[in-house]
Amino acid sequence: MEPVSLFDLATKQSEWLAVRQSAIAGNIANANTPGYTANDVEPFEKVLDRAVVSLQATQAGHLGGATNASFKVKPDEADGVIMPSKNTVVLEDQLMKAGEVRRSFELNTAIVKAFHSMMMMAVKS
Amino acid sequence: MDALTAALKVAASGLGAQSERLRVVSENLANAQSTGTTAGSDPYRRKTISFVSELDRATGSSTVEVNSIDRDPSDFPIEFQPGNEAADEKGYVKMPNVNVLIEMADMTEANRSYEANLQVVKQARDLISMTIDLMRNQ
Amino acid sequence: MIVGGINALQLKTGIGGGTDATTDLFQGGAAPVAGNSIGTSFAEMVTQAASKTVNTLQNAEQVSMQALKGDADTRQVVDAVMSAQQALQTAVAIRDKVVSAYLEVSRMGI
Repeated sequence: MEPVSLFDLATKQSEWLAVRQSAIAGNIANANTPGYTANDVEPFEKVLDRAVVSLQATQAGHLGGATNASFKVKPDEADGVIMPSKNTVVLEDQLMKAGEVRRSFELNTAIVKAFHSMMMMAVKS
Repeated sequence: MDALTAALKVAASGLGAQSERLRVVSENLANAQSTGTTAGSDPYRRKTISFVSELDRATGSSTVEVNSIDRDPSDFPIEFQPGNEAADEKGYVKMPNVNVLIEMADMTEANRSYEANLQVVKQARDLISMTIDLMRNQ
Repeated sequence: MIVGGINALQLKTGIGGGTDATTDLFQGGAAPVAGNSIGTSFAEMVTQAASKTVNTLQNAEQVSMQALKGDADTRQVVDAVMSAQQALQTAVAIRDKVVSAYLEVSRMGI
């Protein structure tokens, strides 16, 4: 089950992207912290699969700003070199992910803007 | 605090941490030749910095803070400089345990991390701006 | 949801049901109507235009939702949404013209 309307889906994705952005920010900020493991959010498809349950749960929390609770942030698999300090952050990977987030976010806002203006166009007399 | 603002805060903490790191590196570099003032006394001892991450429960994001600024406990290299005021009776002077090459490499790394954090700040700011822009021009 | 709001544009035509080729506004340029009666082909044309709009909008919505889920070609999304915007703008313009024409006709003295 998934959010039925385009606007709901767009909102869900933008929240997911924001959580991902904060995970990436945490990774980059802690690139030199000993023992820190890089985090990432679960994939968006997984979020959609359980969207029904968490959508109810976060409705009340939306205005309170607790929307992050519905997205699981878990340690990323370390596929690079593990430093002696046990830090698994690779700056280039993080910057690439940040680029992905940006592109998806731009597409998201552009879609929302376009459909919003189409709706306004249709109801204007 | 929503996730994007949290990202901004986290990246700002990264900027702060890396600047501290740069400050320590520049102190080391500036004092790479600072010997003691009296005979046989210790020179400048290299400083080291260590970071620690702080998990913010509300947002689930981890900021970075400076854990401590310590002194490098390794031994001082000895040089033969009989004219130096810090020379002992045999003419040997203890030099600071600062390796300029290591400090320069550290500085480059700190710069790189600083730039990466700066990019995150810019991006988070842009994403927030894009969201607000949705309301404009309607 | 968005598509439903456009249903107001669908004109119910009691006239005609002619089998003539009607102008297709969205195929670039209006070909002259080769119809039996102007009234029939006009009504059909408007109906066709409206339903084409609905299809274009549905396609745009579908492609956009796929893009939001993460797997659609950016260019496709942009093309679909732009076509939908063009179609909608045209349909709205037609609707406005039709409404004002109807009002004008109804104001004419008998």
